Amino acid sequence: MAGLSPSERRLQKELMSLMKEPPPGVEVDFDLAEQNLLHWIINMEGAAGTLYEGERFQLQFKFSNKYPFDSPEVTFVGNNIPVHPHIYSNGHICLSILTDDWSPALSVQSVCLSIVSMLSSCKEKQRPPDNAFYVKTCNKNPKKTKWWYHDDSV
Amino acid sequence: MSSNTTENAKHSAEHPDGDGAGATDEDKKDDRMFECNICLDTARDAVVSMCGHLFCWPCLHQWLETRPNRQVCPVCKAAISKEKVIPLYGRGSTKQEDPREKVPPRPAGQRTEPEPGSTFPGFGFGGDNGFHMSFGIGAFPFGFFTSTFNFGDARPSPAPRGTQQHMEEQFLSKLFLWLAVLFIAWLILA
Ligand SMILES: [Zn+2]
Ligand SMILES: [Zn+2]
Repeated sequence: MAGLSPSERRLQKELMSLMKEPPPGVEVDFDLAEQNLLHWIINMEGAAGTLYEGERFQLQFKFSNKYPFDSPEVTFVGNNIPVHPHIYSNGHICLSILTDDWSPALSVQSVCLSIVSMLSSCKEKQRPPDNAFYVKTCNKNPKKTKWWYHDDSV
Repeated sequence: MSSNTTENAKHSAEHPDGDGAGATDEDKKDDRMFECNICLDTARDAVVSMCGHLFCWPCLHQWLETRPNRQVCPVCKAAISKEKVIPLYGRGSTKQEDPREKVPPRPAGQRTEPEPGSTFPGFGFGGDNGFHMSFGIGAFPFGFFTSTFNFGDARPSPAPRGTQQHMEEQFLSKLFLWLAVLFIAWLILA
Protein backbone atom coordinates (compact mmCIF):
# COMPACT_ATOMS: atom_id res chain seq x y z
CA MET A 1 0.00 0.00 0.00
CA ALA A 2 3.08 2.18 -0.06
CA GLY A 3 2.95 3.86 -3.45
CA LEU A 4 -0.71 4.79 -3.36
CA SER A 5 -1.99 8.33 -3.57
CA PRO A 6 -4.48 9.47 -0.89
CA SER A 7 -7.36 8.93 -3.33
CA GLU A 8 -6.18 5.45 -4.15
CA ARG A 9 -5.65 4.64 -0.51
CA ARG A 10 -9.19 5.57 0.30
CA LEU A 11 -10.52 3.65 -2.71
CA GLN A 12 -8.51 0.65 -1.64
CA LYS A 13 -10.21 0.81 1.76
CA GLU A 14 -13.62 1.08 0.18
CA LEU A 15 -12.86 -1.84 -2.08
CA MET A 16 -11.77 -3.97 0.88
CA SER A 17 -14.89 -3.23 2.84
CA LEU A 18 -17.13 -3.92 -0.18
CA MET A 19 -15.31 -7.21 -0.56
CA LYS A 20 -15.84 -8.11 3.07
CA GLU A 21 -19.44 -6.97 3.36
CA PRO A 22 -20.99 -6.65 -0.08
CA PRO A 23 -24.28 -4.75 0.06
CA PRO A 24 -27.24 -6.69 -1.35
CA GLY A 25 -27.82 -6.37 -5.08
CA VAL A 26 -24.48 -4.65 -5.69
CA GLU A 27 -21.40 -6.42 -6.95
CA VAL A 28 -18.06 -4.80 -7.71
CA ASP A 29 -15.81 -6.10 -10.46
CA PHE A 30 -12.85 -6.50 -8.13
CA ASP A 31 -10.32 -7.58 -10.75
CA LEU A 32 -10.94 -4.50 -12.80
CA ALA A 33 -10.87 -2.18 -9.80
CA GLU A 34 -7.62 -3.68 -8.57
CA GLN A 35 -5.97 -3.07 -11.91
CA ASN A 36 -6.93 0.56 -11.81
CA LEU A 37 -8.35 1.90 -8.59
CA LEU A 38 -9.65 4.99 -10.36
CA HIS A 39 -12.04 3.07 -12.61
CA TRP A 40 -14.69 0.69 -11.29
CA ILE A 41 -17.50 -1.26 -12.87
CA ILE A 42 -20.34 -2.30 -10.62
CA ASN A 43 -23.06 -4.78 -11.46
CA MET A 44 -26.38 -3.96 -9.99
CA GLU A 45 -29.59 -5.93 -9.73
CA GLY A 46 -33.05 -4.43 -9.79
CA ALA A 47 -34.46 -5.04 -6.32
CA ALA A 48 -37.21 -7.59 -5.85
CA GLY A 49 -40.68 -6.12 -5.70
CA THR A 50 -39.75 -3.06 -7.79
CA LEU A 51 -40.32 -2.20 -11.44
CA TYR A 52 -36.75 -3.30 -12.14
CA GLU A 53 -36.94 -6.75 -10.59
CA GLY A 54 -34.91 -9.26 -12.57
CA GLU A 55 -33.04 -6.61 -14.58
CA ARG A 56 -29.29 -6.22 -14.43
CA PHE A 57 -27.45 -2.97 -14.87
CA GLN A 58 -23.85 -1.82 -15.01
CA LEU A 59 -22.58 1.29 -13.33
CA GLN A 60 -19.27 2.89 -14.15
CA PHE A 61 -17.41 4.93 -11.55
CA LYS A 62 -14.52 7.15 -12.57
CA PHE A 63 -12.54 8.86 -9.84
CA SER A 64 -10.22 11.81 -10.16
CA ASN A 65 -7.13 12.14 -8.03
CA LYS A 66 -9.07 14.63 -5.92
CA TYR A 67 -11.46 11.96 -4.72
CA PRO A 68 -13.10 12.03 -2.17
CA PHE A 69 -13.13 15.83 -2.27
CA ASP A 70 -14.27 15.63 -5.84
CA SER A 71 -17.31 13.47 -6.61
CA PRO A 72 -16.93 10.40 -8.77
CA GLU A 73 -18.27 10.45 -12.32
CA VAL A 74 -21.04 7.86 -12.23
CA THR A 75 -22.95 6.64 -15.28
CA PHE A 76 -24.88 3.60 -16.33
CA VAL A 77 -23.08 1.73 -19.09
CA GLY A 78 -23.67 -1.41 -21.12
CA ASN A 79 -26.73 -2.39 -23.06
CA ASN A 80 -29.36 -2.05 -20.38
CA ILE A 81 -29.79 1.51 -19.16
CA PRO A 82 -32.66 1.63 -16.66
CA VAL A 83 -35.70 3.48 -17.93
CA HIS A 84 -36.30 6.02 -15.19
CA PRO A 85 -37.39 9.69 -15.04
CA HIS A 86 -33.94 10.71 -13.78
CA ILE A 87 -31.79 8.50 -15.98
CA TYR A 88 -31.03 9.55 -19.53
CA SER A 89 -30.72 6.99 -22.28
CA ASN A 90 -26.99 7.72 -22.53
CA GLY A 91 -26.55 6.56 -18.94
CA HIS A 92 -26.29 9.97 -17.29
CA ILE A 93 -27.99 10.16 -13.91
CA CYS A 94 -29.64 13.24 -12.46
CA LEU A 95 -28.85 12.79 -8.79
CA SER A 96 -27.78 15.70 -6.63
CA ILE A 97 -25.25 13.80 -4.49
CA LEU A 98 -23.23 13.24 -7.65
CA THR A 99 -22.57 16.96 -8.02
CA ASP A 100 -23.86 19.73 -5.78
CA ASP A 101 -24.62 17.64 -2.74
CA TRP A 102 -21.53 15.48 -2.88
CA SER A 103 -19.64 15.16 0.37
CA PRO A 104 -16.34 13.40 1.04
CA ALA A 105 -18.09 11.34 3.70
CA LEU A 106 -20.10 9.65 0.95
CA SER A 107 -18.68 6.55 -0.68
CA VAL A 108 -19.12 4.18 -3.58
CA GLN A 109 -21.40 2.18 -1.36
CA SER A 110 -23.59 5.12 -0.37
CA VAL A 111 -23.84 6.24 -4.01
CA CYS A 112 -24.90 2.73 -5.02
CA LEU A 113 -27.49 2.62 -2.27
CA SER A 114 -28.88 5.99 -3.36
CA ILE A 115 -29.18 4.75 -6.91
CA VAL A 116 -30.82 1.52 -5.79
CA SER A 117 -33.34 3.46 -3.75
CA MET A 118 -33.92 5.89 -6.60
CA LEU A 119 -34.77 2.93 -8.82
CA SER A 120 -36.85 1.25 -6.14
CA SER A 121 -39.08 4.24 -5.54
CA CYS A 122 -39.90 4.65 -9.23
CA LYS A 123 -43.60 4.31 -10.02
CA GLU A 124 -43.58 4.54 -13.77
CA LYS A 125 -40.81 3.58 -16.14
CA GLN A 126 -40.17 6.51 -18.39
CA ARG A 127 -37.28 8.61 -19.66
CA PRO A 128 -36.80 12.20 -18.53
CA PRO A 129 -38.99 14.52 -20.60
CA ASP A 130 -35.95 16.25 -22.11
CA ASN A 131 -34.13 13.03 -22.90
CA ALA A 132 -33.84 13.46 -26.68
CA PHE A 133 -32.54 17.00 -26.43
CA TYR A 134 -30.19 16.32 -23.54
CA VAL A 135 -28.62 13.25 -25.08
CA LYS A 136 -27.90 15.16 -28.28
CA THR A 137 -26.41 18.21 -26.60
CA CYS A 138 -24.75 17.12 -23.36
CA ASN A 139 -21.08 16.81 -22.57
CA LYS A 140 -19.74 13.29 -22.33
CA ASN A 141 -19.02 13.90 -18.67
CA PRO A 142 -22.28 14.24 -16.70
CA LYS A 143 -20.45 16.30 -14.10
CA LYS A 144 -20.21 19.07 -16.70
CA THR A 145 -23.97 19.26 -16.85
CA LYS A 146 -25.57 21.99 -14.80
CA TRP A 147 -28.32 19.86 -13.38
CA TRP A 148 -31.56 21.29 -12.30
CA TYR A 149 -32.68 19.00 -9.51
CA HIS A 150 -36.36 19.01 -10.08
CA ASP A 151 -37.89 16.48 -7.84
CA ASP A 152 -36.09 14.42 -5.28
CA SER A 153 -39.07 12.33 -4.39
CA VAL A 154 -38.81 10.02 -7.39
CA MET B 1 -29.62 -3.59 17.04
CA SER B 2 -31.00 -6.85 15.84
CA SER B 3 -28.08 -7.52 13.52
CA ASN B 4 -25.75 -6.90 16.41
CA THR B 5 -27.40 -9.47 18.56
CA THR B 6 -27.44 -12.06 15.81
CA GLU B 7 -23.78 -11.45 15.18
CA ASN B 8 -22.97 -11.94 18.81
CA ALA B 9 -25.05 -15.06 18.85
CA LYS B 10 -23.15 -16.38 15.85
CA HIS B 11 -19.85 -15.71 17.54
CA SER B 12 -20.75 -17.45 20.72
CA ALA B 13 -21.93 -20.38 18.65
CA GLU B 14 -18.63 -20.57 16.78
CA HIS B 15 -16.50 -20.08 19.82
CA PRO B 16 -18.24 -21.64 22.79
CA ASP B 17 -15.71 -20.07 25.13
CA GLY B 18 -15.79 -17.09 22.82
CA ASP B 19 -14.54 -14.15 24.89
CA GLY B 20 -11.45 -13.74 22.73
CA ALA B 21 -13.26 -13.41 19.42
CA GLY B 22 -15.84 -11.04 20.89
CA ALA B 23 -13.12 -8.79 22.22
CA THR B 24 -11.32 -8.45 18.88
CA ASP B 25 -14.61 -7.58 17.28
CA GLU B 26 -15.17 -4.90 19.86
CA ASP B 27 -11.66 -3.61 19.33
CA LYS B 28 -12.29 -3.27 15.65
CA LYS B 29 -15.42 -1.29 16.26
CA ASP B 30 -13.55 0.94 18.68
CA ASP B 31 -10.90 1.57 16.06
CA ARG B 32 -13.49 2.50 13.49
CA MET B 33 -14.98 4.99 15.92
CA PHE B 34 -11.82 7.03 15.59
CA GLU B 35 -11.59 6.92 11.84
CA CYS B 36 -11.62 10.16 9.96
CA ASN B 37 -14.88 10.54 8.05
CA ILE B 38 -12.99 11.60 4.96
CA CYS B 39 -9.92 9.42 4.46
CA LEU B 40 -11.27 6.50 6.54
CA ASP B 41 -7.91 6.17 8.30
CA THR B 42 -7.48 6.64 12.00
CA ALA B 43 -7.76 10.38 12.36
CA ARG B 44 -4.44 12.18 12.71
CA ASP B 45 -4.19 15.73 13.97
CA ALA B 46 -7.76 14.99 14.88
CA VAL B 47 -10.38 17.68 15.11
CA VAL B 48 -14.03 17.42 15.91
CA SER B 49 -16.74 19.69 14.54
CA MET B 50 -19.40 21.34 16.68
CA CYS B 51 -21.80 18.69 15.40
CA GLY B 52 -19.48 16.04 16.80
CA HIS B 53 -17.95 14.60 13.68
CA LEU B 54 -14.34 13.53 13.65
CA PHE B 55 -11.78 14.30 10.95
CA CYS B 56 -8.09 14.62 10.36
CA TRP B 57 -7.39 18.30 10.32
CA PRO B 58 -5.65 18.09 6.92
CA CYS B 59 -8.66 16.27 5.48
CA LEU B 60 -11.21 18.69 6.84
CA HIS B 61 -9.10 21.66 5.84
CA GLN B 62 -8.92 20.42 2.27
CA TRP B 63 -12.70 20.01 2.19
CA LEU B 64 -13.24 23.53 3.51
CA GLU B 65 -10.92 24.82 0.80
CA THR B 66 -12.79 22.84 -1.83
CA ARG B 67 -16.03 24.71 -1.23
CA PRO B 68 -15.10 27.95 0.44
CA ASN B 69 -18.52 29.47 0.12
CA ARG B 70 -20.51 26.48 1.22
CA GLN B 71 -18.79 25.03 4.23
CA VAL B 72 -20.79 22.18 5.63
CA CYS B 73 -19.98 19.12 7.67
CA PRO B 74 -19.33 16.23 5.26
CA VAL B 75 -21.35 13.91 7.45
CA CYS B 76 -24.40 15.85 8.59
CA LYS B 77 -24.32 19.05 6.49
CA ALA B 78 -24.32 21.28 9.55
CA ALA B 79 -22.61 24.62 9.02
CA ILE B 80 -18.95 24.34 9.89
CA SER B 81 -15.95 26.62 9.88
CA LYS B 82 -12.26 26.67 10.61
CA GLU B 83 -12.84 28.65 13.77
CA LYS B 84 -15.38 26.26 15.13
CA VAL B 85 -13.57 22.97 15.19
CA ILE B 86 -12.02 21.56 18.32
CA PRO B 87 -8.67 19.80 18.26
CA LEU B 88 -8.50 16.51 20.13
CA TYR B 89 -5.43 15.85 22.20
CA GLY B 90 -5.20 12.27 23.34
CA ARG B 91 -2.66 11.06 25.85
CA GLY B 92 0.65 10.31 24.19
CA SER B 93 -0.41 11.92 20.96
CA THR B 94 2.78 13.92 20.65
CA LYS B 95 3.90 14.27 17.07
CA GLN B 96 4.24 10.76 15.82
CA GLU B 97 3.65 12.02 12.28
CA ASP B 98 5.20 14.84 10.35
CA PRO B 99 2.77 17.70 9.87
CA ARG B 100 1.43 17.24 6.39
CA GLU B 101 2.50 19.43 3.50
CA LYS B 102 1.41 23.02 3.67
CA VAL B 103 -1.70 22.61 5.74
CA PRO B 104 -1.92 25.39 8.30
CA PRO B 105 -1.47 24.39 11.90
CA ARG B 106 -4.47 22.90 13.53
CA PRO B 107 -6.60 25.50 15.26
CA ALA B 108 -5.74 25.77 18.92
CA GLY B 109 -8.08 24.79 21.68
CA GLN B 110 -9.85 27.70 23.25
CA ARG B 111 -10.87 28.36 26.78
CA THR B 112 -13.37 31.14 26.28
CA GLU B 113 -16.77 31.02 27.86
CA PRO B 114 -19.67 30.56 25.50
CA GLU B 115 -21.24 33.79 24.37
CA PRO B 116 -24.84 34.26 25.34
CA GLY B 117 -27.02 33.90 22.30
CA SER B 118 -27.26 37.29 20.71
CA THR B 119 -29.11 36.78 17.50
CA PHE B 120 -32.07 39.01 17.23
CA PRO B 121 -35.19 37.12 16.29
CA GLY B 122 -36.50 39.59 13.77
CA PHE B 123 -36.56 40.11 10.02
CA GLY B 124 -34.88 37.00 8.67
CA PHE B 125 -31.78 38.59 7.25
CA GLY B 126 -28.47 39.85 8.41
CA GLY B 127 -27.16 36.63 9.76
CA ASP B 128 -23.92 36.19 11.60
CA ASN B 129 -21.73 37.75 9.00
CA GLY B 130 -23.07 41.23 9.32
CA PHE B 131 -25.18 42.89 6.75
CA HIS B 132 -23.66 45.52 4.57
CA MET B 133 -25.61 47.78 2.40
CA SER B 134 -24.96 51.14 0.88
CA PHE B 135 -26.94 53.38 -1.33
CA GLY B 136 -25.41 54.97 -4.35
CA ILE B 137 -28.12 57.52 -4.74
CA GLY B 138 -26.52 60.75 -3.72
CA ALA B 139 -29.56 62.91 -3.65
CA PHE B 140 -31.27 61.14 -0.85
CA PRO B 141 -30.80 62.24 2.68
CA PHE B 142 -29.60 58.87 3.78
CA GLY B 143 -26.28 59.79 5.25
CA PHE B 144 -27.98 59.54 8.54
CA PHE B 145 -29.05 55.99 7.95
CA THR B 146 -25.98 54.55 6.34
CA SER B 147 -24.00 54.20 9.51
CA THR B 148 -26.78 52.18 11.00
CA PHE B 149 -26.79 49.87 8.01
CA ASN B 150 -23.59 48.18 8.95
CA PHE B 151 -25.05 46.42 11.88
CA GLY B 152 -23.13 43.31 12.70
CA ASP B 153 -19.93 45.29 12.21
CA ALA B 154 -18.05 46.64 15.14
CA ARG B 155 -19.22 50.16 15.73
CA PRO B 156 -17.31 52.74 17.72
CA SER B 157 -18.85 51.87 21.04
CA PRO B 158 -21.24 49.02 20.70
CA ALA B 159 -23.15 48.01 23.73
CA PRO B 160 -22.06 44.66 25.12
CA ARG B 161 -23.74 41.85 23.23
CA GLY B 162 -26.74 40.30 24.80
CA THR B 163 -27.60 43.27 26.98
CA GLN B 164 -30.87 45.05 26.77
CA GLN B 165 -29.21 48.05 25.18
CA HIS B 166 -27.58 45.90 22.56
CA MET B 167 -30.88 44.36 21.67
CA GLU B 168 -32.46 47.77 21.38
CA GLU B 169 -29.71 49.02 19.14
CA GLN B 170 -30.06 45.99 16.95
CA PHE B 171 -33.75 46.56 16.76
CA LEU B 172 -33.38 50.23 15.97
CA SER B 173 -30.89 49.67 13.20
CA LYS B 174 -33.13 47.09 11.61
CA LEU B 175 -36.08 49.36 11.98
CA PHE B 176 -34.22 52.18 10.24
CA LEU B 177 -33.23 49.85 7.48
CA TRP B 178 -36.80 48.83 6.90
CA LEU B 179 -37.96 52.42 6.95
CA ALA B 180 -35.36 53.22 4.32
CA VAL B 181 -36.42 50.28 2.18
CA LEU B 182 -40.04 51.24 2.43
CA PHE B 183 -39.19 54.83 1.64
CA ILE B 184 -37.32 53.84 -1.50
CA ALA B 185 -40.08 51.51 -2.56
CA TRP B 186 -42.49 54.34 -2.09
CA LEU B 187 -40.27 56.67 -4.13
CA ILE B 188 -40.09 54.16 -6.94
CA LEU B 189 -43.72 53.30 -6.99
CA ALA B 190 -45.03 56.79 -6.51
ZN1 LIG C 1 -8.61 11.97 7.31
ZN1 LIG D 1 -21.57 16.89 11.38
